[in-house]
Amino acid sequence: MQLNRATLVALCLMSLPAWASAQDRAELDTTVTLFRESGGPLEMTVITPSVDIAAAAGEHVEVRGGWEADIVSGASVAIVDAPGEVDAVTSATRLDDLRHTARFGMTFLGQRTDLTVAYQYGHESDYRSHSFDLNARAELAERNTVFSVGYARGFDRVCDLRQESLAAPERQRLPGSGGCFAGADDRIARDLELHTLRGAWSQIWSPILVTQLGASAQVLNGFQVNPYRSVWLGNAAAQEHHPDNRARYAADLGARIYLRRLDAILQPSVRVHRDTWDIRSITGKLSYVQLVGERGRFQVTGRYYQQTSATFFSDDYGLRPRGQYFTGDRELSAMRSYLASGGFEYQALGEDLEGERALQTLQLVARGGFLFSRFPDYRYGTAEVPNGRSFFVTLQVDMHF
Amino acid sequence: MDSRSSSEAHRSPLALVALLLLACSLAGCARVRPDERALLADPAMTFGGEGTPGAHEAHVLSNREAAFGGAEARGGGCGCN
Repeated sequence: MQLNRATLVALCLMSLPAWASAQDRAELDTTVTLFRESGGPLEMTVITPSVDIAAAAGEHVEVRGGWEADIVSGASVAIVDAPGEVDAVTSATRLDDLRHTARFGMTFLGQRTDLTVAYQYGHESDYRSHSFDLNARAELAERNTVFSVGYARGFDRVCDLRQESLAAPERQRLPGSGGCFAGADDRIARDLELHTLRGAWSQIWSPILVTQLGASAQVLNGFQVNPYRSVWLGNAAAQEHHPDNRARYAADLGARIYLRRLDAILQPSVRVHRDTWDIRSITGKLSYVQLVGERGRFQVTGRYYQQTSATFFSDDYGLRPRGQYFTGDRELSAMRSYLASGGFEYQALGEDLEGERALQTLQLVARGGFLFSRFPDYRYGTAEVPNGRSFFVTLQVDMHF
Repeated sequence: MDSRSSSEAHRSPLALVALLLLACSLAGCARVRPDERALLADPAMTFGGEGTPGAHEAHVLSNREAAFGGAEARGGGCGCN
């Protein structure tokens, strides 16, 4: 029922009329993405509509605001590795959730520098988040070199049962979001704080070659567990228990290469990541963008991702415990994923057309992709992960005034 | 740890810093005039030029991989697990 209403809302948002003022530059962007993952009794459907507006307020200030939602419906495993002769996967429970996100930002533009401040608020029945973002950017060497640095601070609150006095193996999973952030006696809000620092160096090497080298570091402190998930420990199930602290480090290198003879652009990139839970990963991505005439382009992308497992991960904590921490999260096990995606953009209305009008450009974008994930060391009891395949489709209408 | 392995442990980050400084020096030699930048103005030649569709794809992947994130201070939510 919630999913049908959500679909109608998403379709209405996609048909928003243009109404922004024609006096200053302005942009209206409406986008909706459908994500679907299914296999056996497990499934997840997420519809993500978003609306973003940006406008120039004079020559040196740009203002933007936006809204995004995640409309979630699905069935997931609540007790990982539950015992019994029945396949553990059949213990899947239904979930429906709705997350709203509102964001606001301002960019102060100088001749060679700009400064952006932004704020985002996220609201779910069982989750609240606030994040503040500050980013500075400077162009040097006749705009051939760009340095950017940013810092973000997040304050999250996660609903859980009031059970902090119990030892970790005795804690129970949260049965539902009822009573969360409503003053219920058996509910509590657990804190999660985030600090993120990132920097990037972009360099134009020739009229057809640009590279970017980036690095980021993030520190998380607080509750980092899915409160709805529990793990069988051999003689009882307990809410999963992760360390409170996690530090993550990543570096990435990318290039943009214009292929003159093909009138196309090649976009290779690689990213490496490591964190203090001993998860190490590498991502390789290659996109090919083909320009089609004056108004169209299509893109194909291939992406490979591989990670190791967290140091405290075990596929069977009853037989192979790994210290005081335990998890039922398949994304903390070793995994590989393959993404194949493609899309088409068409500029239905361009600035080259003569005549005065409020709507200067109108661009339509359609993209979709398939994601195949493999979890060689993760099972639900003896059952392989059945829902490692998923797809997504994105539609966008982007208007400039 | 003996003195030789200690010096080897310090060599790796120093080498990285030296390489970065060399790269920055070489970058100073790259000069593309404004009249040569027509191709560079294409959104596909900019990093982050995929816009909202790219952000939505990143959102999908961030809920499916442990190593994602670090580009923004937003912890979770979504309930997509």
